[in-house]
Amino acid sequence: MSLDAIRERGKPVLQLVNLVRVLGEGETATEVLHGLNLTVTQGEFCAIVGPSGSGKSTLMYLLGALDKPTSGQVIIDGSDVSTLDDDGLARLRNEKLGFIFQFHYLLPEFTALENVMMPMFKLGVPAAEARERAQALLDQLGIGTKSHRTPGRLSGGEQQRVAVARSLANQPLIVLGDEPTGNLDTVNSDNVFAIFETLAREQHQTIVVVTHDLDQAARTDRIIRIVDGRIVDDGPTQDVLARVEREEAERRSALKPHA
Amino acid sequence: MGLKVLLLIARRHLFHNLFRTGVSVSGVAIGVTFMVMLSALMTGFETKFVRETIESSPHVTIYDEYRGQTDEFAAWTSRQMGGVARVDSARPRETVRRIKKPLEILKALRALPEIAACAPNVTGTAIMNFGTRERGMNLVGIVPEDQEAVSSLDKYIQDARIYDLYASGGALLLGYGVAEKLGAKKGDTVSIKLRNGDSRALRVIGVFRTGITTIDYARGYTLLSVAQQLLGLGRDVNQIVVRLHDYSSARAAASKIEHLVRYRTESWQEANENFLSIFVIQQIITYLVTGGIMIVAAFGILNVLIMLVMEKLPEIAMLKSMGFTAFDITLVFLLEGLAIGVLGVLVGCVLGYYLTEFVGSLPIKQTGLVESEHLVMNNVPRLYVVAGVAALVCTVLASVLPALRAGRLDPVVTLRGHA
Ligand SMILES: Nc1ncnc2c1ncn2[C@@H]1O[C@H](COP(=O)(O)OP(=O)(O)O)[C@@H](O)[C@H]1O
Ligand SMILES: [Mg+2]
Repeated sequence: MSLDAIRERGKPVLQLVNLVRVLGEGETATEVLHGLNLTVTQGEFCAIVGPSGSGKSTLMYLLGALDKPTSGQVIIDGSDVSTLDDDGLARLRNEKLGFIFQFHYLLPEFTALENVMMPMFKLGVPAAEARERAQALLDQLGIGTKSHRTPGRLSGGEQQRVAVARSLANQPLIVLGDEPTGNLDTVNSDNVFAIFETLAREQHQTIVVVTHDLDQAARTDRIIRIVDGRIVDDGPTQDVLARVEREEAERRSALKPHA
Repeated sequence: MGLKVLLLIARRHLFHNLFRTGVSVSGVAIGVTFMVMLSALMTGFETKFVRETIESSPHVTIYDEYRGQTDEFAAWTSRQMGGVARVDSARPRETVRRIKKPLEILKALRALPEIAACAPNVTGTAIMNFGTRERGMNLVGIVPEDQEAVSSLDKYIQDARIYDLYASGGALLLGYGVAEKLGAKKGDTVSIKLRNGDSRALRVIGVFRTGITTIDYARGYTLLSVAQQLLGLGRDVNQIVVRLHDYSSARAAASKIEHLVRYRTESWQEANENFLSIFVIQQIITYLVTGGIMIVAAFGILNVLIMLVMEKLPEIAMLKSMGFTAFDITLVFLLEGLAIGVLGVLVGCVLGYYLTEFVGSLPIKQTGLVESEHLVMNNVPRLYVVAGVAALVCTVLASVLPALRAGRLDPVVTLRGHA
């Protein structure tokens, strides 16, 4: 399947136009992202891969409307992030985006169930409905029986699954994960990626995940490689993986002394 | 709906660390407790003094100082010379000062709407002898029913009525301090030495005790006619005392009356000017001390909230990523400050009430301006309202800064710090 074929499935929900992000000020100012262009359409399941420090997290904050570009545009479901005020950005995050961080930030004073209900409360979903939906999400992630525990009484993997459930609470158009399975074992991480797959395939939700794990990345539709703040490769998963493998092979053969 | 979540979050924050919450609530509570107690103590004395003064002293007193042309000869000379000659330092004539035509003046005063009652007085200093003891005293001649209408006296008299003054020609009511110093009791006969050297016997028909030392230790009452005779005033008087419907308007009333009757008048505030100015200083001290306490409590809250915000950085970032606005976050912390304030005020008011009652019940005898067996505590609702409002304003002000800071926090900074 080509990228164009994937794109025909839906409308563009994420667009980057000449995106530049400079971090720091004065002497320490560093251009971290150097003019990225990217379009992600509804229902795409994308992986972002790249070495540490290449700007993946910086990109994710921009995609999640938590940060604004230095220049260029970030367009989320048709709205240019730069033109929105604090309230507009907050509404965008609440209604259209679900965020999962690497370090599973949960509200420690609330139970797993309440944590999942929190974005729904903000949206104004009635409590009974919110509770039901939150419980269903926790069930789906295999921690339904622990929904009344506070984060302190859940393991790291369990907490991260609660965070995943919470990111899905308002059935967001786009789910963003910055190494969401970074702290999970293979079984749990498989489970989370399986859920992402289902969401993309069956509910046409757009998933963008940063991952180091190429085995997990292999389950996605599309891989975007970032090196030093530039997109160096972007295409259907199989193609990108093939190129990565070829590169690896070339490097290995280059290293290998000629027999 | 929106506010409900914020309230829930604020409540959880407060309940999550009960110790910290308890400490900040206690800070406010202690501030309010002492503010209530101190204001009750500081205003208690003043309130008692004012209440007793307006109860047992006239609101306005008219004195025997004529405000019309003082020296007729000087005026006459001046008129005769067409204003060219002036008589300097004309010596006042040696006469007994007096208010002339008191009945007419009383009639005119009673017609004024702001005046509740007025009474003629004859006052003068008299030397009293009882046995071997001798004391000077302020003798006041009164018409009992008129006097009673102006200032309460009857209820302060022990084992006698004010009307007992009518019982015999030479009846005398003594202030208990005077009686004590003289060693005279009810039924005793004391002799009063007059200006011309004669003396006259008066029988003590009762002793009064108003609780105001300046009265109890200096004054004695007799009938107006007796005093007129003793002090040689004939049918004139030298004071007219007035009770107003509204004691607080005494200054205005005094100047109006002075304009009308042309004799010098004095309001109860002027008469007690030096005490009242002490009370003003006392009030300033009260406000400074209690204000200081509240500011310390406010800094406590400021501290706690700054710590709370620091501790909640990840949660704030998370809430923002979920779609909570800067305003929502600010409101959460403001609500926490407000909750601490409200709880502190409630606890402080209850503790303040009991502390005030307790301090008021301590057997600390007060003598001096006002007499009392205990510290006089003005334990009234107004103090709680003032302390409560002050504490709430302080807590809200103390919460504003950390709350605004929390709202403005950039979630990305927090998220990067962790990644
Ligand atoms: N405040 C800052 N000022 C300058 N450079 C920064 C700042 N914060 C991060 N960086 C740099 O931005 C680059 C991208 O960081 P990040 O997006 O976290 O990368 P990744 O998530 O891919 O590991 C890194 O090289 C980092 O050193
Ligand atoms: Mg990163």
